[in-house]
Amino acid sequence: MVSLKIDGREVSVPEGTTILKAAQGIGIDIPTLCYHKRLPPIGSCNMCIVEIRGQEAPVTSCNTPVEEGMEVTTESEALHAQRVVNLKKILKHHALDCPICDKAGECDLQNLVYRFGITEVPFEPRKQKRDDSYSTSLIRYWPERCIMCKRCVTACREIKGIGAIEASGEGDDARIVVANAEICRSCGECLMVCPTGALTENLSRFKGRPWLEKRVMTTCPYCGCGCQMELRVMENRVIGVTTKLDAGVNQGSLCVKGRFGYEFIGDEDRLTDPLIKENGAFRKASWDEALDLVAQKLSAIKKESGPDAIGGLSSAKCTNEENYLFQKFMRAVIGTNNVDHCARL
Amino acid sequence: MAEAKTITLNMGPHHPATHGVLRVVLELDGETIVKATPHIGYLHRGIEKLAEHRNYQQIIPLTDRLDYSSASANNIGYCLAVEKLMGIEVPKRAQYLRGIMAELARFMGHQLWLGTHALDIGAMTVIFYAFRDREMIMKINEEISGYRLTPTFFRIGGVAHDATDEFIKKVREFVKWFPKALSGYHTLLTENKIWTTRTMNIGAITAKEAVNYGLTGPSLRASGVAYDVRKAFPYSSYDDFDFKIPVGENGDVYDRYLVRMEEFTQSLAIIHQAIENLPEGPVQTDNPWIGNPALSDVEKDISALIRRFMINAKGPNAPQGEVYQAVEGAKGELGFYLVGDGSEHPYRMKVRAPCFYLASAIPRLMTGHMIADAIAIIGSLDVVLGEIDR
Ligand code: SF4
Ligand code: SF4
Repeated sequence: MVSLKIDGREVSVPEGTTILKAAQGIGIDIPTLCYHKRLPPIGSCNMCIVEIRGQEAPVTSCNTPVEEGMEVTTESEALHAQRVVNLKKILKHHALDCPICDKAGECDLQNLVYRFGITEVPFEPRKQKRDDSYSTSLIRYWPERCIMCKRCVTACREIKGIGAIEASGEGDDARIVVANAEICRSCGECLMVCPTGALTENLSRFKGRPWLEKRVMTTCPYCGCGCQMELRVMENRVIGVTTKLDAGVNQGSLCVKGRFGYEFIGDEDRLTDPLIKENGAFRKASWDEALDLVAQKLSAIKKESGPDAIGGLSSAKCTNEENYLFQKFMRAVIGTNNVDHCARL
Repeated sequence: MAEAKTITLNMGPHHPATHGVLRVVLELDGETIVKATPHIGYLHRGIEKLAEHRNYQQIIPLTDRLDYSSASANNIGYCLAVEKLMGIEVPKRAQYLRGIMAELARFMGHQLWLGTHALDIGAMTVIFYAFRDREMIMKINEEISGYRLTPTFFRIGGVAHDATDEFIKKVREFVKWFPKALSGYHTLLTENKIWTTRTMNIGAITAKEAVNYGLTGPSLRASGVAYDVRKAFPYSSYDDFDFKIPVGENGDVYDRYLVRMEEFTQSLAIIHQAIENLPEGPVQTDNPWIGNPALSDVEKDISALIRRFMINAKGPNAPQGEVYQAVEGAKGELGFYLVGDGSEHPYRMKVRAPCFYLASAIPRLMTGHMIADAIAIIGSLDVVLGEIDR
């Protein structure tokens, strides 16, 4: 254990802990922007700077490990002034987009600017336009909103181990570029960690606003992992999927199906009645008629060719109870073990 | 021997002379009132409860709907209470503009009172003149805010925007015109024999009793107590202006009439001084967390855009704490008691509505008078139910 003082308060933490984590542990709120709980420290935004006694220049607390006897100050006039300068630098070329930005209302950048009460950052257009191409067609990259925090790049590399995107260029020319579009799996991990509206989802763009939406926590219906996700609901329609950082086995991650495969929910082509195929064409039928037909055909097949001529596939979009009943039906009523499910894994 | 019998008469809530939805149950012995019991609550809209679920800025329009006949006078009380809680100072120009609007609101309240009060007692003509002049103020309201009756022109930290030239012109016209109109009102009523007979010595209350009942505003001053929040606890630059507090002697319906009539003159003096000495400068606080950035800045400055977004979408937080702020509304001391819990909406808002206390004096004032006087007494108290029931 290492003992140190933060803002005059004694704290001891295991060796290797960063100053930021030690401070958070005792409820001291150091402002951060590029820091993300699930990512290794990036250290690109310089908002989390703190002063250490005996050291001239402030250090970034997200990637500085604690040392025995350290005395840390997290708030001072100089620090505040420096943070304001750093934030203004980030804002200098930022597009004036909040009114049309999907992130507005839950944007980390907005929150920080308001927290610091930043004023007077006249907009300066970039000399060289950034390129807005991106590695997947499901996500749009808005280069003029990007603050170059590099969370997306780090998440792609560290959480997913893919590395489809990378940061390129220096200073005003810096931007996120596609490293290898072939290997991008469109999982949307970058979308999830982006603190701003620089990465937005193409399917749900402009459909909702965070403060108007209802968010419903649910389990992803696709496979047996049981990832936790939140449906964004506007006027009784699912308009998108988000994740909560601390929820479930997935801790905020999803795959391409979970994150983008929600449009079927409100799709017009979904079945509303049982259909019976006659002479190559479907016609509407009543439930009684359809079930009678299925029972009759299944009995006939079982009689002619035995129960193992029948197999059943059930669906992860059904509930556990329904799936249990289905396999029970296959084994006990039909009498076969030919039953399978996509969530068997 | 025949037994003396009283009858019970239900007056209101839908009676044109109860000025809204006041209901008074009268017990009558012949034509004499032996007991009067006011019933309130017919216009309850839950304004105080609603306030707990809105951010500080969004509550302002609710306060317009307290005493809706003088809306800006309520706005100023609420805004000052929030500003006290947040510890911010409003620029001088905004304070003057607020003063002008609040005094114009007093005019609107008093003109409505004058017209309907006279109408109730049978003087039909007055309301036409009172409303002719009230229309001028409605137009001023419309010019500055877009709304005629409920302007919601004030904001936490100042006013919505600067005064237009047209506004200043219209206010000046009004100031110039009104003394003539006022002398017209006087000609119609002040020495009118029917008027004086119907109002003198009716519903009189002594200074001591008026204080005990918690009366404030013109109804208290008519009994000879010179208490006016604008003088006693000056706010919003009222100490910059030279004006008097008119008081009466007898505390009867006639004195309440005279006090309000004199208040027209005093309010006019305030408006005159304020509009002629309107200071230059901003009309919104420069506090970056509260002052709404101008649209012209928003178009070229991301920090202004973000702050405007946050201030309007979420609203500024007020610190933990409690405040009470009173102002002189058209009817009396209008107070706002706010408890902040550190979030963007109040934990509790309580309104001290002057009309509630005025209505509570109705039994005392009516008992012993003739039934026809009931109407004169209600009119002279100038109660507005929007404020009592909230
Ligand atoms: S990323 Fe944030 S600050 Fe930038 S335009 Fe979108 S909401 Fe506004
Ligand atoms: S796209 Fe988002 S996460 Fe990636 S660098 Fe830009 S702002 Fe950061």
